[in-house]
Amino acid sequence: MRTKRDRLELAGYLVVGFLVLVGCHKSAAPPAGAPAPGGPVAPATPPPAVAPAQHVEGTPHTDVVENAWRGAGLAPEGFAPLQPVPYGASYCEQGRLQTLDTIVCEYHDQDALGRGQAGLLEQWGREGGHTGVGFHSKLTMIGVIDRARHDPNGKVIHQVIDTFRKL
Amino acid sequence: MRRALAVSVFLAAFVFAFVGVASAAHAEVVEYMSRHPLPKRVGHGFCDIDVPHFHDYPPSDPRLYRQVNGQYYFVGDPTPFDYDGPKYSFYGPHPITDPGVQFGGPTYCYIRGPHSHWYAPPPQAQFEMRGGAYWYVGAYDPVYYSDQPRFVVINDFYTPLVYARPVIDVRIAPPAFRGEIFVGGGWRGGPGGPGLRMGGPEPRFEHREMVMREHREQEMRREQEHRGWEQREREQREHGHGPHGGPPAERGGGWHGGPPAERGGVRAPPAGIVNNGGHGGPPRGAPPPAGGGWHGGGGGGQRPAAHGNGFHR
Repeated sequence: MRTKRDRLELAGYLVVGFLVLVGCHKSAAPPAGAPAPGGPVAPATPPPAVAPAQHVEGTPHTDVVENAWRGAGLAPEGFAPLQPVPYGASYCEQGRLQTLDTIVCEYHDQDALGRGQAGLLEQWGREGGHTGVGFHSKLTMIGVIDRARHDPNGKVIHQVIDTFRKL
Repeated sequence: MRRALAVSVFLAAFVFAFVGVASAAHAEVVEYMSRHPLPKRVGHGFCDIDVPHFHDYPPSDPRLYRQVNGQYYFVGDPTPFDYDGPKYSFYGPHPITDPGVQFGGPTYCYIRGPHSHWYAPPPQAQFEMRGGAYWYVGAYDPVYYSDQPRFVVINDFYTPLVYARPVIDVRIAPPAFRGEIFVGGGWRGGPGGPGLRMGGPEPRFEHREMVMREHREQEMRREQEHRGWEQREREQREHGHGPHGGPPAERGGGWHGGPPAERGGVRAPPAGIVNNGGHGGPPRGAPPPAGGGWHGGGGGGQRPAAHGNGFHR
């Protein structure tokens, strides 16, 4: 009788443990402020105050970048400004290129750009994805992530970067 | 007592499960510096991204990579991986001169014989274009020799491979080239034919002519030895002595037709040379050839330079 009670007790512990585990997993996967995988790109931690988005002079603007991609035969779609502006940037737009999630951000200085690019890749690395790239030219950064192996050989991503770096 | 045991079992199971779930929650992130082959489990061919990026898989074969600041850089010949970008032919070991990467010091490609890369050497680097390929004619930094045992294993990957190596006329190799030249049989050719052209102008350098002649004689000797060992093995098998012919393998591993000895100026032929019948070298357990088909152009392979390699990134 006592053995049976012990078994029941153990089973109870296991059930509780399982529930705790599931809870931990759910709370650990997406960091605070991060979007769900596949969802819109957003900063890991939201900025303390929402600053108005402003283009940065002297570096390729997002609309110029998107037009260049369009001219190269890529099909940018759904690009829209992000508010609040993520990754310490002054202006960001996010959309898709040939089904790949893409972000374009403009920065005021190299330090912010460096931190922003590192933060973007860190977040994407946490979320998981087949391929992720962050690349910048002047003070504009682009990020592309292939979450579902749409571009296993990187041909689209290569074209995206190659077009951007010619600007 | 039983209760304590139950609690212990539960805690152990919990910790074990938590560690497993926690590690699974963090997706694998492997950083690459540039282009690279795709592992078979991911797909086929080559990743064309030529800037730093990450994937969720590790390299298929670490012999083809160098790690720089945690990022993998592919140092091999991309040809066998269906790479379809620009290519430049090289012959023998040379400094890696990819303008897209910074290594922080001299870094070398150790591939022997004809091969290709996606980059061409910059004008200031000490290469000579002869016979359809770039030959490194500068001195080698000491790090070339210290790293050689670790990185020369890349030849274990490439020598058995049958693919279209660049066709290079080795008879007009630059005199300052210090590497090895292989003649007398050629590399296994892919669709483009063998990687060695025996026609063309007369050799300009006598010592190369000697190397060629010597090599042919050595090959004949080796074939005779090979046939001798085969004959002895057959006899031993017939007399029930088992399959272990030949003298004991050197260095505890036998001779696999893979990396040749690195010292002594005379090197064993790599696997994949046509003239050994396509066996990839003598069979395991057979003696290493006394004088293989590889010759250090400068005797004893290459001698370390006093300083620098003449190429500075």
